[in-house]
Parts: sequence; structure tokens; C-alpha cells
Amino acid sequence: MSDRIAKYYPLIPVYSVYLALFLIGKNVPGMWQLIAMLAFYSAIGQAFNIFLGMTGYVDFGYVAFMGVGTYGMALSISHLYHVEWLGVWVVLIGFLLAAVMSTILSILVGAVALRLRGAYFAIATIGVNEGFRYLIEGARIWGGSEGIIFYGQLAQAVGRKTASILSTFWADIFVFVIAGVAAFITLFYMKGKIGYALTALREDEDAAKVMGIHVTKYKIIAFITSASLAGLIGASAWGLKVTNVFPPEVFEIHYTIECIIIVLLGGAGTLLGPVVGGLIYGLSKYWLTVIIPGFQLLIFAPIILIVIIAFPEGVIGVLARRYRGTPLGKFIA
Amino acid sequence: MIGEQLAGNLIQGLFLGGIYGVATMGLSLIFGVLNIVNVGHGAFMMVGAFIALLMFNTFGLNPIYAIPVAFVVGIALGYLFYYTSIRKLIKAPELASLLATFAIGILLEELVKLIFGSEFRGYHWIVERVDLGVTVLPMSKVYALTGSILVAILLYVWFKKTRAGMAVRSVVEDDVGAGVCGVNVGWVYGMSFALGISLTVVSGILLTMFIPVGINPYMGGTYTLKAFVVAVLGGLGSPYGAFFGGLIFGLLENGCYTLFAMIPGLEPFAMTRFFSFVMLLVILLIKPTGLMGTK
Amino acid sequence: MAINEVYLEIDAGERIGIVGPNGSGKTTLFNLISGVFFPEQGSIYFEGKDITRMPPYKRAPMGIGRTFQIPRPFGSATVRENVAVGAMFGTLGSQVGVREALEIADRYVELVGLQEHRNKPAGGLTPIEKKLTEVARSLAMHPKLLLMDEAMAGMHPKDIDNMVDFLKRIAEQESISIVAMVEHIMRAVVGLVQRVVVLHQGSKLVDAPTRDALKDPRVVEVYLGHPPEEHAC
Repeated sequence: MSDRIAKYYPLIPVYSVYLALFLIGKNVPGMWQLIAMLAFYSAIGQAFNIFLGMTGYVDFGYVAFMGVGTYGMALSISHLYHVEWLGVWVVLIGFLLAAVMSTILSILVGAVALRLRGAYFAIATIGVNEGFRYLIEGARIWGGSEGIIFYGQLAQAVGRKTASILSTFWADIFVFVIAGVAAFITLFYMKGKIGYALTALREDEDAAKVMGIHVTKYKIIAFITSASLAGLIGASAWGLKVTNVFPPEVFEIHYTIECIIIVLLGGAGTLLGPVVGGLIYGLSKYWLTVIIPGFQLLIFAPIILIVIIAFPEGVIGVLARRYRGTPLGKFIA
Repeated sequence: MIGEQLAGNLIQGLFLGGIYGVATMGLSLIFGVLNIVNVGHGAFMMVGAFIALLMFNTFGLNPIYAIPVAFVVGIALGYLFYYTSIRKLIKAPELASLLATFAIGILLEELVKLIFGSEFRGYHWIVERVDLGVTVLPMSKVYALTGSILVAILLYVWFKKTRAGMAVRSVVEDDVGAGVCGVNVGWVYGMSFALGISLTVVSGILLTMFIPVGINPYMGGTYTLKAFVVAVLGGLGSPYGAFFGGLIFGLLENGCYTLFAMIPGLEPFAMTRFFSFVMLLVILLIKPTGLMGTK
Repeated sequence: MAINEVYLEIDAGERIGIVGPNGSGKTTLFNLISGVFFPEQGSIYFEGKDITRMPPYKRAPMGIGRTFQIPRPFGSATVRENVAVGAMFGTLGSQVGVREALEIADRYVELVGLQEHRNKPAGGLTPIEKKLTEVARSLAMHPKLLLMDEAMAGMHPKDIDNMVDFLKRIAEQESISIVAMVEHIMRAVVGLVQRVVVLHQGSKLVDAPTRDALKDPRVVEVYLGHPPEEHAC
């Protein structure tokens, strides 16, 4: 019995961090935007980690799911705002639509790409974000290259005051919630059969198959989970918060790069890793923006190289190994 | 009228395709020998483009002179990155080299941005125009295609006739066996990587002969995707396949653009980009080994 | 063509050795049985079912297990976790949750004598410990047929004897058929298997009980090596 609960100990540090962030943001004036950014980075880090960290496959087009999720929110609000009885439910529908759309995209991409091995998979995904962006612009769907601006429509649906609170406060809170959910799912996978299967296929895909593991099935599960969480994050942090969406902005490879940095720095395949990575990256970026605006990648690119070559397990990976078997180790995963 | 326009577009496509082909030969070479996918491919082309830009704007030298410079710079960069990072990742899981080459690409982009800024630049090389009947081309494009074909032929000769080239081929076939036969496999890896990189940088020059504008630190991204389509078309480990894949892709791309332009309600430039991506997925689905690939 | 017309039949609980020099087709045969690739012609039946084109991950829950020539345990997982993977996805797969799998794993880890290492990552073990981990992992699958690739390659003679005794015992206890593949007829195979199949250039040369196979002049000719010591038979 206590064993069953002890399984979930690693969530304690994660949730403590989130709680601490929230309290700091709420109570220290002027910190909210920074906190929101840190939460955002931890959230996408966790979501991305469920696929990259657990399967060892890299999806270079990952931001596409965030972009699609943003469109989900945008489409819901911009099309349903005039339905009076819906009111604030347009936001909920926005989230649902975001999750559904990103899931569908992940199934479409996965159906082709997940049958492929490592490098071919990466190649297949490299154009997904761009491809989708150009589809929207080229076929002029969903507002084409002009995008969708929907603050006014949100205000009409829920009233000016609510709209303002939603986009300046609740949007960020939802990101915290999604991050928390992502953390739980991560641990749930890690400790369950899925986790064993994913570790096996990550280490040695052929041996895993021979052991009876249906590798494609597990890859798909991880992929869809990761994608739908990204969609929800996009819907909230980009859609609800910014209340507009433009194809070149929400499909930028830049965000995938940030996901990769966050997960790798913190520790791919660990639970706490993306949280730590998100904090490190977010704070560094914030600080670097003051000193050398626009050039944080110049610093991080060589850091990533060094991590890959010398510390592939990342911060938490190293810590987890060092404290394995000790009481502290029960909280680090 | 439409037929003429189509033919003209197709010829343009063929010319551009030759450049895509050379650009991808480096990618295929590196994959064929080291089993590493250079995700930062486009960034190296960008470096070549900037070399052409610099040499023209600073020294007034036309891009043909930039080619040997690009070759040397490419070799230097190739060896630099090989010895600092790539060498240690040959035996590592695939993920490591994918992310490392990706990071190298980003590093190059940011360095160039730091030095030159992110504005779009270009140069204006005044050349005569050649009338091919269905279309008129500036000589620069003719030079570009000639350059591409020359590079392809040179590489072919190098592989078949020189000792170094044969050493490389033996490593592609069987790296353990080659080692046992006395081939210095590490040296082959380093050289192949450097050569692959320099081919890519040179292709950046050839690209600017075709499109001398829009040069900026982030221009590489599009070409990385195109290079992958071409590489997969031609077979990921085969440099010759890459060349022919390039020609085919150039044709398809241009043909696509013309067709999309004729359909109202569609924006042809964006749709062509979307189509390239779809092409990649289709090839990967049907025949991932490509036309001439062995892997 | 790597294999040409090999006909092979294995009974439940039988232990056979597949022997042959490099290029004789042993590895291909193994890969065909475990599902790494499919034959162009011919078929493979397991317990009456046609598994010729079945993907490898489906063969494992049916009861086909396999170890590799160079042991490939999952490096970042502990010994215990490695063995648990076998239990989770083998023949008992659907009835076994993570906790039960770990309990089963503990049993097999003890059986192969790796208890002290059970919580160490498999990547840091010595080659023989890795081999034992693999064996335990395959056994935890509760296989009906165990394919052992170069079963005792590179092992110390004393360890070989121990392994042979262990495998014989387990095979009889749990009614597992073993197919051990080796390059030469060694003391190991001789002690372990009841029947020897010799492959030569993709075809079956000899298929006979161990004693008889060893005396067969064709076998000696193929090998040009010295026959094993008398007392090993």
C-alpha cells in the first residue's frame, strides 16, 4: 500500500515548484509575466519530454501541435462568440477543439512518420510545422496569412471584464494546470508498463521487439499524448492569452528549439528534468535578454552541444543517478 | 502559350534542380559514410551565400571566384566541427548526432546574425542574358548549372579514381572490413565530413548565382527541408542519387508552382512549399530508400 | 540465398543445437524463427500455427524467446527492471502488471545468481553478468522455445558447465525447448543438447542425436577441428 503511494513521491518536488512559482507570481508585484513564462517553458518541456525523453525520437516539427492548438482556441471563439448561451464555454470548447485538432494532426503525421526509424523519422517531421503553416497560407483557410484576431469576439462572448481576466490571468493559470497534468501523466507512464516498453524501445528497438513489445503502438501513444498536451498549451498560452494567431508566429521552429534545449538541459526522460530545464532556460533567457537581446540561442547552442557530448543525461539525470537508492532518491525521477 | 510557359518554367526548374542536387550531395555523402544526418545543412548553405555576398560587395569579385574560397572555408568548418563534436558522436545513439548537427546549425545562424545582422541582403551581378527560345535566362544561372554539373563530375571522378575516394567507398561498404584492410577509418570519417560540408557551402554560392537576393542568417531552414526531400528522393546514402533527385525535385517544384498559380484561390508560393513537404512524406511512405539508395 | 531448403522439426521440451561455420546460414535461420525477417519461400509453424509472416513482437507472447550473441540488455534499466520486461511482455503479458512482473523478475534474478546486482543499471555489468541478465530476462518471459544465439561464446569453461547444468534443469522443469546456436561443436553444446543439426552452406548436412552427429565423418570433415573430449559426451 505504501509502495503504491511512494511511487508518486517524485511528483512532490514538481508540484512544489509549481506552487512556489504561483505564490511568488501572485504576491510579488511585477513578477507575473516572468512566472508565466517559466510555467510555459516547464509545461512545454514536460509535454515534449513525454515523446523525446521517453522514446528517444526527436520531432523537429513539434511546434506544429502548439500552433494547431492555438487555432483551435481561435476558431472556437471567432466562430461561436455570438451564440449567447455559450458564454464562457467557448473557452472550454476552444480547449477541446485544440486537443482534438492536435490529436488528429499527430495521428496523420504519426501514421507516416512513426513507422520510420530514428533519423528518417526526424527528417519526416522537419517540415511539419512549415508545411502546415504554408497549407494555411496557401489554401487561405482559417484566415490565411492574415491570421485571426479575436479579442473583440471574446469580449463579446463573455463581457469585457471577464475577457480581460481570462487572457491576463486565467490563461496562465491554465498553463500551470496543464503542466501539472503533464507531470502526472509522465510519472504514470514512467511507472507503468508503458514506461518499461518505452525505455526498452529507446535503448534497443530491435531487442524490444523480440521481447514482445509492439514498439509502434507505444511510440504512437507517447506521440499523441505529447501532441495533445502541446495543443492545449498553445490554446492557452498563445490563443487565450494573446487573442490572435498568425501562421508565421505559431509555427516557428524557434519554439521546437527551445523545447529541445529545455528537455536536454534538464534531463530527457526524467520527470523533474523539464521543470528544472524550463526554469534554467527561462531565467537565463530573461537575464540574457537584458544583456544581449535576441542572442540567447548563441549562448545556448554551444551549451546544447556540450550537454549532448558530455552530459547527455542532463541535470536531473545526473542527480537521479547519484542519489539512486538513497531516501532523497525517491523524490528524484 | 501555356505550353511555352510551362516549358520555360520546366527549364528553370531543371537549372535550379541542378543546384539542389549539388547542395544535397554533401548531405548524402555524410550520411553514406558516417551514418549521420546533418540537420544543420541549410545553415552551411547560408554560410556559402554570405561568402558570395561578402566577396562581391567588399571586393567586387563575381561569385565564381568565391567558389574556391567557399570550398576552403567549408573544409575548415567541416574539420573543426568533426574534431570538436561529431567524432565523439559516431557511436552514440542517433538522437545525439541529430541534435548536435541541429545545434551546430543554430550556432552558425546566430554567429552570422551577430556579425552581419538579420536584414535581408543581396548582390547584383550584371550579366548578359541568354535566349533559349521558350525562356530567357541570365548567364549567372547558366554558370550556376555548369558549376553544379562540374562539381558532380569532379566528385564522381574523385570517388572512382583517387585512392582517397576509394577508401571512402570501402568504408561505406563495410567500415569494419575496411579498417581490417588497413584503411584509416577515422581519417576517412573526418575527410568525408569535411568534404560533405564544403560541398554544401559551395552550393550556397551556386544558389546565390540563381537567387542573389533574400540572403539572411535564417535562409537555410527552407533549404534543409528541400535537401531532405531531394536526398530521400535520390536515396539517402547516394550522392549521385542526390544529384538526380535534385533535378527531379527542381522540375517538380517549378511545375507545381505553375500549376498552383493557375488555380484561383490558392497562393502558389505557399502551396508549393506545402507540396514539397507532402512529397517528402509520400516518398518516405512508398519508397524510403529512394531511387538509388542503399540504406 | 542464405538458406536453401532446411527442414527442421523441434518437439516440446527437446533441446537441439544448430551448428555450422560462418556463412552456413545459422544466423539467417535464427532471424527467420524470431521474426527479424521473413522467408521468400517456405513456412514456419509454431504449435500448429503459421507464424511465417508474424512480426517479432507477436511471436514473443506466443512463447518464442531469444538471447543475442553479444548480450543486449537495456543499459539504463536495472537488472531487475530488465528481467521484468521479459515477464511483462512474454507469454504471461496480459495477466501481469508492473508489480507482479517485478516479483517474477526477483525470482529469476535470484535463479541466475544476480541478486546483489539487481538494482544496478545493466549497462555497467561485466559481459557474463549481462549474459545472465539476458538469460533471466528470456526465462521470465516463460517461453516455450528459447533461441540462444552463440549461447556460450567467450565464456570460461567452468561457467559454461554451470550454465549448461542450469539450462538443462530449467528446461526440464519448465518444459522449455532450447535451440542453441554455435559455431563449433563445443563441450557446452554437447552437454546441453540431445540432438545436433549441422548446417553447411545453407543446407542441412546432418540431423542426428548428439553422439551420432559427433561421429559422423561428414561433420568432422566440415570442421577440420578436433572432436571434443570423450568425457564430455
